[in-house]
Amino acid sequence: MADLMQQPITWGSVSLMVLSAAVLLLIVLGYVTYAILFERKVIGWIQGRHGPNRLGPFGLLQTVADVIKLLIKEDIVPRNADRALFILAPVIVFVPSFTVLATIPYTRNLPFADLNVGLLYYAAISSISALGMLLGGWASNNKYSLIGGMRSAAQMISYEIPLVISFIGVILMSGSLRLSTIVEEQGPWFWQWNFVPQILGFLVFIVAALAELNRTPFDLPEAESELVAGYFTEYSGFRFAFFMLAEYVYVYAIAALTTILFLGGWHPPFPFLDFIPGIIWFLLKFCLVVFTIFWIRATMPRMRGDHLMSFGWKVLLPLSLINVFITAVVLEILR
Amino acid sequence: MWQNFAQFWSSGENIAFFILSVVIISGAVLMLSFTKVVHMVTSLAFTFLGLAGLYVLLHAEFVAFVQVLVYAGAVTILMIFGIMLTRHDVDQEETSDRRLHHGLTLLGVLGFFGIMFYAIQQARFPLPDHSATITDNTAAIGERLFQLHVIPFELVSVLLTVAFIGAIIVAKREED
Repeated sequence: MADLMQQPITWGSVSLMVLSAAVLLLIVLGYVTYAILFERKVIGWIQGRHGPNRLGPFGLLQTVADVIKLLIKEDIVPRNADRALFILAPVIVFVPSFTVLATIPYTRNLPFADLNVGLLYYAAISSISALGMLLGGWASNNKYSLIGGMRSAAQMISYEIPLVISFIGVILMSGSLRLSTIVEEQGPWFWQWNFVPQILGFLVFIVAALAELNRTPFDLPEAESELVAGYFTEYSGFRFAFFMLAEYVYVYAIAALTTILFLGGWHPPFPFLDFIPGIIWFLLKFCLVVFTIFWIRATMPRMRGDHLMSFGWKVLLPLSLINVFITAVVLEILR
Repeated sequence: MWQNFAQFWSSGENIAFFILSVVIISGAVLMLSFTKVVHMVTSLAFTFLGLAGLYVLLHAEFVAFVQVLVYAGAVTILMIFGIMLTRHDVDQEETSDRRLHHGLTLLGVLGFFGIMFYAIQQARFPLPDHSATITDNTAAIGERLFQLHVIPFELVSVLLTVAFIGAIIVAKREED
């Protein structure tokens, strides 16, 4: 991909780029459709319900019907809303969520854009979404939306710091910001993957990543019992769909990133299982992380706002710093 | 001339440069001409993102994404301050006669353009041999920063810590 930018553009290279992005978009949309169904099924199962089961076999067409419903709904822009920003905000939220996927390597042969600053790229681009949430909350001209937007900005910025610092332990272990190198540096046995030597960093990462996703137990920006629906209270139809889509694409991105950074990417857990292709192992670990995220959502209550902030700054930040310190000292001794 | 034109547009880098410069300049101009603070901050964000894109074109990926990381957060914070510290329910237009003001502004802008045009025409840009530096500029920046320039780096971090503690003390005093 990087070479393509250097060459003079031809119709061939442009259509290749557009086509690969379109294929990825279709895969992601398919994933989101079934991730939503899977989430409702998992939560239903945990709560002793059936979950959606009317549309199609096992309710497989439920999300499709929901999406069609959202697309043909009337498009409402409140009269006193700031029209331009109200329309722009879902775009600013969604575009970074899809852009971060460009750098994720699925297997050795399918690295997409293998940037040499891949990890930094992820952290940087995903932080733009907070701006869109704040803009959406402000432009709606509704007090619940504004409070939701403010909360989401505060939360995203506070938890981004421990998240990025928890990356640093992994970067120290592998000596590179390139995601494919980070996977290659993790050994063939499952106890050589980063989640064992970096257990502290892994825990900080999981908590901070859940907070970045704005999901339970950290879904204060959209706390329905106090803020109606948070920053997207005034949105309906396909603009609302864009906010939901961005949320689920971030679940995809975080699950893929967890797999790459801590769970050994495409490596099998034992070297003798090497005959199974890497993409299968990647998908298995990816599904495990997605399931864990849904599981946490179904079992944890929502945190209180002040607890959330003090937990982020007084617990997670020191823990992530200690993790960097310990990793650096141990690596220096072992060298 | 047309051949040059076609050649310019056949390179992906030039097209990207053109789009990014449009984003940067229009963001900056809109930042000045908007009246609501949230609109201003949003257009400022587009300028910062466009600048990051220019860094990518210059093969400075590390700087580019640090720029995005720092400024995306900074812009969000700035917007929160803008929302909390300004009143956005008043819409008053200043209609006083500012002809002299505009004339002086035009003069200043023309002068600035003249100086910049002259300077750019005079400047020579030697093309460095960038085949060696492209491979891993993150490691190169790290080595420069922590070996060659480690004392200025530490001084800057001490300065930031002092500013940080100072801000906390000032805020505490106001709270009492």
